[in-house]
Amino acid sequence: MTEAEIEDKRITLAEAAKMVPDGAGIMWGGFGFQRAPVAFSHELVRQKKRDLTIYTCGSEIDLEIMAGAGVATRYEIAFSAIEALGLSYNIRRRVSEGVLQVEDYTNLAMAMRFLGGALNVPFMPLRSMMGTDMVRLSRYRGDDKLKVIDCPFTGDKICLVPSLQPDFSIVHVQRVDMSGNAQIDGIVGEDIEGSRCGKKLIVLAEELIDEDEVRHRPDQTKIPAMYVDHVVILPYIAHPMMCHDYYDYDLEHLMLFHKMSREEETWQEYLENYILGVENHYEYLNLIGWANLNKLRARKPWGY
Amino acid sequence: MVEYTKTEFLIACASSHVRNGENVFGGTGMPLLAALLAKETHAPKANLISEAGFIDARPRAVPLSVADSRYYYGCSAAIGLIETLGFLLQGGRIDVGFLGAAQIDEYGNLNTSYIGPYEKPKVKLPGSGGGNDIASSAKRLIVMMSHDKRKFVKDLDYMTSPGHLEGPGSREKWSMVGGGPEVVITDWCQFDFDPTSKRIRLMSVHPGFSVDDIKENVMFDLMVPDDVPITKEPSQEQIDIMHRLDPKGIYLGKGGE
Repeated sequence: MTEAEIEDKRITLAEAAKMVPDGAGIMWGGFGFQRAPVAFSHELVRQKKRDLTIYTCGSEIDLEIMAGAGVATRYEIAFSAIEALGLSYNIRRRVSEGVLQVEDYTNLAMAMRFLGGALNVPFMPLRSMMGTDMVRLSRYRGDDKLKVIDCPFTGDKICLVPSLQPDFSIVHVQRVDMSGNAQIDGIVGEDIEGSRCGKKLIVLAEELIDEDEVRHRPDQTKIPAMYVDHVVILPYIAHPMMCHDYYDYDLEHLMLFHKMSREEETWQEYLENYILGVENHYEYLNLIGWANLNKLRARKPWGY
Repeated sequence: MVEYTKTEFLIACASSHVRNGENVFGGTGMPLLAALLAKETHAPKANLISEAGFIDARPRAVPLSVADSRYYYGCSAAIGLIETLGFLLQGGRIDVGFLGAAQIDEYGNLNTSYIGPYEKPKVKLPGSGGGNDIASSAKRLIVMMSHDKRKFVKDLDYMTSPGHLEGPGSREKWSMVGGGPEVVITDWCQFDFDPTSKRIRLMSVHPGFSVDDIKENVMFDLMVPDDVPITKEPSQEQIDIMHRLDPKGIYLGKGGE
């Protein structure tokens, strides 16, 4: 058997963000505190992207950054807060100002919309949202938000949500080989279906591994290379959130973020200091400090 | 006499509603401590599930997020959201879910989305997350709230999650998988729901509170049965276990929600 040449899909973070035009729609990976593509949100801000629509279940600090910096104007999401800390102040302010529109779904509804997109069917049925204002009220999708119908088979009421095939899927994983075979440790959240629904998939990973390692443990591959268009490799992509088996969340920085996002003036200060004021992700990490980052390294067997 | 804070009382009270062997959606915060306390006491076989994908979890440190790696070690499976909210919850396999709310009405319907008019909201709250999914499909729902008259409203600003909707037959009309709210626990009292009218009903008052205190601190006509018992106080053992579970007081240190 001849050795096939392996395609190298690696690009830089700046190159990846450059591909995203103003007005694009993005499936945003990670769930809660886990595997949040924070570095990608920073780069979208530095490149001054505008009018993005973000589709996700419950990202937290990254949604705050994109709302606060005016990068995104539409969110189709289920949840916005920093769990255990409190409300997401940037989103709250931008919504009150009328510059951010949030179309509300549930976590299951968003996961089903990604699954429908990945399966290439126009909608998916689910048993949530019925009877509530989530059906009656829509921010901008109008009749296209969802539909409640009588099931053609049983006659029972059922809720249909429109599938999503956005311009991009952005997913952060632990390890990837240069052709794009991606391994996720811990929970996958909504990233299995999410990674497969976008027209282009960019995988962000903490670590580059050899193809041999992938082929040695193929059950670890959660996203096969055939779905992946580009790969970006960087350390601490999720900081100040966590990446299972790699590093814990940075609670001190999270609390600083939450405090500074409370008022517009201090948020602008955070934005300038930590995002716009640095050239790239490594400068951001230098600013956080490698001694601090090393303290967050995960320990076995806990994974944080 | 056992000394306790309002938060500790609320958690102990909620934990008593978890039965041994049940599949429980734990989340974070007070509900998580309630579920863990139940596991440590009367319900060791309760199966603690986090919607991010952790099943049969036994965290040794309190998670701050439903996706926190603190949920990982010692759980029996770490999968994803379609697994937990889809196969397990919508599949009818979750016995108990916990939710908090900014507003609740007399049928147990919940608002976690907006304060003020939807068209021009005064405050954008976190939204549903998995809340509506859990309220729609868990067999029983336990609601935990700090007691504040402004939260017990006649009309919600926004209905995020279904309680008993408009009353008898409402949930059946929408073919809902789950049974809806069974109990609402505050730091003042416990409510349950009248089986006929599906309206919220005073169940017990915590020590130091009277029936009138509660009636005056809800914004609707409250159903009150003839006999309203005093809620059972937590034991010292329960308080001690709570503090062993949350030694830094991450959740116990904070009052209210």
